[in-house]
Parts: sequence; structure tokens; C-alpha cells
Amino acid sequence: MPETSYAVLGVFETPDALMKAIPQARAAKLGTVEAYTPYAIHGIEEALGLRRSPLGGMVLVMGILGAITAFGFQYWISAIDYPIITGGKGAGSWEAFIPIMFEVTVLFATFTAGLGMLFLLNKLPFFGHPVLSSKSIKGITRDRYVLAVEAESEAFDSAAAARTLQAAGAIEIEALPAPDRSPFLTSDYILRTLGGIFIACVVAGLAMYFATKWFPVLAPMKYMHEQPRLNAQKASDFFKDGHGMQQPVPGTVARGYLPTATGTQEEAASLVNPLPRTPEVFALGKKVYTNRCEVCHGAVGNGVGSLTAAYGAKPANLQAQQFLDYPDGKIYWAIVNGKNSMPSHAPYLSERERWAVVDYVRALQRAQNAKDEDLKVATR
Amino acid sequence: MKPDAAILAGDIPEALIEPALTVGVVTPGSLDDQVLAFPETKPPKQWYIALAVTLTALGIGVGCIGYVFATGIGAWGNTSPVFWAFDIINFVFWVGIGHAGTLISAILFLFRKRWRNAIARFAEAMTIFAVICAVIFPLIHVGRPWLAYWLFPYPNQRALWTNFRSPLLWDVFAVNTYFSVSLMFWYLGLIPDIASMRDRATGKVRKVIYTVLAMGWRGAASHWQHYEKAYLLLAGLATGLVLSVHSVVSFDFATSVVPGWHMTIFPPYFVAGAIFAGFAMVVMVLVVVRETMQLKNLITMRHLEVMNKVILAMSCIMGYSYMMEGFTAWYSMNEYLHHGFMNIISGTYGWAGWVTISCNIFIPQILWFKKARASYFWMILVAVGVTIGMWFERFVIIVVSLHQDYLPSAWRIYKPTMIDFGVLLGTFGIFFTLVLLFARVLPVIATTEVKAILPGAQPSHHGDDHHA
Repeated sequence: MPETSYAVLGVFETPDALMKAIPQARAAKLGTVEAYTPYAIHGIEEALGLRRSPLGGMVLVMGILGAITAFGFQYWISAIDYPIITGGKGAGSWEAFIPIMFEVTVLFATFTAGLGMLFLLNKLPFFGHPVLSSKSIKGITRDRYVLAVEAESEAFDSAAAARTLQAAGAIEIEALPAPDRSPFLTSDYILRTLGGIFIACVVAGLAMYFATKWFPVLAPMKYMHEQPRLNAQKASDFFKDGHGMQQPVPGTVARGYLPTATGTQEEAASLVNPLPRTPEVFALGKKVYTNRCEVCHGAVGNGVGSLTAAYGAKPANLQAQQFLDYPDGKIYWAIVNGKNSMPSHAPYLSERERWAVVDYVRALQRAQNAKDEDLKVATR
Repeated sequence: MKPDAAILAGDIPEALIEPALTVGVVTPGSLDDQVLAFPETKPPKQWYIALAVTLTALGIGVGCIGYVFATGIGAWGNTSPVFWAFDIINFVFWVGIGHAGTLISAILFLFRKRWRNAIARFAEAMTIFAVICAVIFPLIHVGRPWLAYWLFPYPNQRALWTNFRSPLLWDVFAVNTYFSVSLMFWYLGLIPDIASMRDRATGKVRKVIYTVLAMGWRGAASHWQHYEKAYLLLAGLATGLVLSVHSVVSFDFATSVVPGWHMTIFPPYFVAGAIFAGFAMVVMVLVVVRETMQLKNLITMRHLEVMNKVILAMSCIMGYSYMMEGFTAWYSMNEYLHHGFMNIISGTYGWAGWVTISCNIFIPQILWFKKARASYFWMILVAVGVTIGMWFERFVIIVVSLHQDYLPSAWRIYKPTMIDFGVLLGTFGIFFTLVLLFARVLPVIATTEVKAILPGAQPSHHGDDHHA
């Protein structure tokens, strides 16, 4: 038997024999009594005098912490940092937070129970425990029940412990030597570890560098903005001229924008307003006139608009005799081609809108030069 | 409360005595030799054949998912108004399969149902594999799975946060918690078994792997004390969790306004359905396991019979839920609900409704007979039927409700594509591949837990006053 030993193990065949031996081993007061069993044995913790596991309290505390964390996190985000009304609920309405609070509570509590048990209470992983290298370990994880008297001080009497266990009915006795106490973290070991990490970093860095340098950057996934398409005012090799934007095919006409063959104003004089005189046409003409013409030609067409003073321009007084005598076609020509300072309005107005404005100008002229018959029509 | 004196004296009425949980003589040592020997032997030829089949299915699934990534989720049949189709059906289906494992490992543990010990390990493993299959679907359904991390609330340069009032976000938390907790539960249960395998191992590689995985477990009584406490706490927590997870999944539907979804019965109905489907899958796999791995003495006919009873009970709950759906539709006097319910039994997809009802309600009724509960033929028939039926139940809930809701102008018939079926097949491939691998590398039966319930495993209290 070695001079210094960590513990003496006594092997038993049944749980009953183990339970019977525990009080005897404890009564001898030679050292700490610990049992090693293949599964949990009921009542052994009382027999060994172990304190109650504090795990329940730890889990309770962490569970409550989980609930508070989840609530605070959700409340801060949903009510303070990023308040959005969804489903008509106020930013601070907390009822919807309950499911996630529950899940986080369970998450915190479970990890405390599992990892707290393993790491904090049982101090695992621990691969250097002397029992793991004992002969008895094969039995411990199979079908043997082992009672250990573990040394508490240098003065451990391993022979006495072996005798006690034998007397208590152990079928086998094994003395465990004291574990190797040579320092684990020698300077040589630390140097080699750090050196290894450094070399690994260098190798990984070089590998990444050459991987990205030699292989083209692969893009297995594409974002939506990376799709093949034509962009306005950007080059494109899809067309021969290299432009992304193309001129319309010659002769293309947009709907409602049929060009009218109007040469000179005199030639246009013979054009006839194709629109019927209906309230709809009148309303359209009034709308377009108000939006496009009124600022210069004035609300009644007398050439006094809100912009005339500012620009110093002299727009035509549509109430002048010259324009009263104009045929419809000449007014239409002026709208399409512009006249003097007035630009062409063809790009803004559809065919129908142009003729509606002509109609409205006619109505304005007649309203300013009303005759007696007009009154009769109005009162009828 | 003091136990009855007569019972303490060993005078227990025969009806109360629990029959032995194992057949024949089983000792802790023989148990190890029987169960832990699998990973130490060469797999039989049949195992390779089965693995080839499941890997083929997995490969088809991976190919289909790759095709979806390359072309976009337009490769599926999903179209307005059925935007949720196979993805969510399969997600709910697989999450549901997982629930049986947690029920067996946690709820039956709390109820001190000792028969659970022999099947808990396998059922827990199936939970984890099923949840892995389930999470694939939301991830691929987002269309850009490489951006799926946007589901989590984390500080980002877009200055955006997730919406905590959305049940879909609740799902993210519920499913992630469920997976983490199941994994923790499973691993904690495995540690003592892995320690046994470590001490049996002969090969060097095997020894190193099991040594690391066992974390230096040495079976100390002081460790067992904390371990048992942790296991009990985990069981209690997982019980609440398993009920919450499928409830949260059902909120995806129940909190919406779609007729046929907006129902208060959904959470319990979904939980019952999940346990139902999961038990069917466990029975199916266990029958194969006990036959091919010669575990008949540990997974006895009595285990299967008890599981079949659970299936029967769940089937009755499902029947009640279906009737309540009809009753709610009728009693609400709401024509949209009427229409939705009539769609289930007589619409375009009426056949799916009847597959659901037949497989889930009618066929399992055979289990009222003890002979059927103890017959492979009937239990496999029921288990396969329930698996199909529960898949179609989710199809009915999701597709039938969505394809015709309030606006008739927005109605459309949904047709899945071959890619849809390929992805579904792929998840079955993943699931069974993992099951096969698990059966070869880890103990399929929780030997530690079974050792603890063998006759004579616990100290007898007669004539010994340490427990009085």
C-alpha cells in the first residue's frame, strides 16, 4: 500500500450491502465517506449526511431573472426604443409579452438547472479525478456499488480505512494513490500552447488570404438589387448602342397624345372641335384652364393673370376682338405650338384636354360678351 | 400523509402491484452487455440498406431545397391567397412529432410512470431530430435563409427591432427554447450512460470521444444528488414548455382573423394533436427497434400497449376537437365559419378532410380492443394512419382555411409542386438518417434509468430504519 493515498475504495455487490456499510464507515471517522454508484440510490444522501442540493433555489432565482429580463427587454424595445402601434394596441401594452417571458424564464431556469448542476455543483468536466483511473470505475458505471473513504489530511490511515471497509462487507478493496500534484500550468506548457495558437492563427489567416485571392468571390446567393435588369441612365451591353435607356421606335405615339397635322396657324383655321358641348367637357376644360392657363391669361381670359406682373409679360387678352374672331382651330394651334412667349402645351395636355380648353375659352368669351338671348337660356 | 399500514407491511392488493417492467432476468450487467454493445459491434447489412434509403431521401430533399434557393420560393405551389402551404404544414407536423418525446421524458417522469424509463431515450432523441426537421421550414420559407438571423432581436445598423406582438416571433423564441431544452435534457440523461460506454470502450478513438462527452462523470453519490434534482427540475420545466410550444404554434393561426383559424380551442387542440402524432411515430419506430435490435425483453409488449392507450385517448380528444369545430361553426351563426367548415367536409379538398377524420378518429378506435393493442399489424396500421392523418389535418387547417376566406374574388385552388413533395421527403430522410445514426453510436435505452427500476436495484427498507 503506498505511503500517501487519496482514498480507499471498498466494492459492494448490492445496494443493500452498500447502505449497511455506510454508517460503519462514517462511524470510524477516518475521512470523508463518499459512495460511487451506477445509478442514483434512494436515501443514500441521508445516509451519507449530504446537504440538500441548492439547485432548486438557484433555478428559482434565475427563472425570475429570466422573466424580468424578457419583460424589460420587450418593454424597452416595444414601448421606448421603437414604439410601433400594431393591431391597435398601445406601445406599452404588455399582454403580448407573456409568451416570450415564459419561454425565456424556462430557458434561463433550464440552463441553470443543467449547467449549474454540471459546472457549479458537480465541478464537471473534470477528467483528472483519481477514481476515474481506478480499477473499480468499470464496476461503478456498470453494476458495482463502491464506498470510498477519502483522505482529509496527511495523517490519513489507509490501512485502517481498508480494515473498516472489509469489516463492513466489501468484497474488494482498492487503495487509490494520491493524484499527481505536479503543476499543470508549467511555463513550458504555456509557451507551447500560446505558440500553437499563434501558428494556427497565422495558418488560418494565410489560408483565408489566398482563398480570397485565388478564387473569385463566389456569390451563390443574389440580393434582389443584384438582378440582371436595365437601369435608367446607366450603360448596358444588352443593346448595341450601349445605352440602358432607348428611344421609342420611330412613329410611336402615346395613347391620347395623337399629334395633329397642324402646319401654320392659317392652315389650322379649318380644324373643327370634335368634342360635343356637354357639362363634362366644360368641366374638363375649366379644370385644365385653371391649372395651365389662368396664371397668365387670367380667370376671365382678359390677359391679367397672377404671374403677369411678376414676369412683365403681356399675355394675349382673349377677350380682344382679334381673338373673338378666331376660329376654334387657330386657338387649338396656339395651344399645341405656343405663340410668342407662350410655350407649347402639347406635352402636358391630351388631345381631348386641348379641345376642352378651346371650348372653355369660347365660353369665357361669350360670358364677357353676353347677349340678351343668353339670359333667356340661363333662366329657362 | 402516512401510507396505509397494510401496504407498508407488504400486503398490497394484487390490482395495485405494477407488473415487472422487463421480461426475463435482467441485471445491471446484462443490461449493459445488451444495450451498450450495439455501438461496439459492426452494423448489420440491413442497417446499411436502411441508411442508403434514408440518405437517398435526404439527398432528394437537399436537391429540392438547393433548387428553391437557386430559383426562389416560386418553385413551390404557394400562391395568393395560400401563402402558407407545405412549409407551415410540415413545420407544425414535425414540431408536433417532437412533442411525444418530451411528454414521455418529462410529464410521465413527473407522474412517476416507471415504464417510461425504457423508451424515454429514444423518444427524446426523436424530439430533437423532429425539431431539426421542423426548423428547416421557417428558414427556407423566409426565401433568403442567409438572412434568417433577422428573426432575432439584436441591435443593428438598420435601427429596427422585431415586433414582439407577432406570434411568429413568439414561435422563434418557443422553438429555439424547445430545441435547447430538449437537447439539454437529452444530453444530461446521456452523461451517465456515456460514462458506462467510456469504461467499456476498447478502441482509442472511441475511448477519447466518450471520455470527452461523459465530462468525467464518476457516479459519486454527491453528484447523483444534484443530478437527480436537476433532472426533476428539468422535467417540471419541460412539462410547462411542451404545453407552451404547440400553444404558441397554434397562436400563429388563432390570433389571426381567418375563418377556421380564429378559435380559442386551438392551443389545447394543437397540443393534443402533437402528442397524438408523436406517439404514433414513437410506436412505429419502437416496433422496428425492438425487433431489429433484439430489445424485446426491455421494450415489452406492455410498453407498446400502454402507448397505444395514450394514442386512443388522444384520438378521442381529437374527435372532440373536430366536433367542437363543427359546433362552433354552427353555433356562431357566422356564414364564413359555416362555409369554412363545409369546405372541410365537402369542398374541393373535402377528401383531405375525410382522410383526416378517418385516420385520426375512426381507425384508432380499433385500439379499444386489447388484442389490437398487442398486435403489430393493428398498431402499425394505426400509427401510419395517424401520421398521415395528422399531416392532412394541418393541410386542412392551413390550405382549406386559406384558399377561401372572406373575399370570393380572392379565392384560388392550391396545388403543390413536385418540389414541395421533394422537400417533405427530404425531411423524412433527415429524420430517419439521424435515427439510424443515433441507434449506432449512442445507447438507445437509458441504461442508467432502467438499472434504477430493476428488481432489487433500490435498497430494501424492511428492518432498516434509515428511511422511517
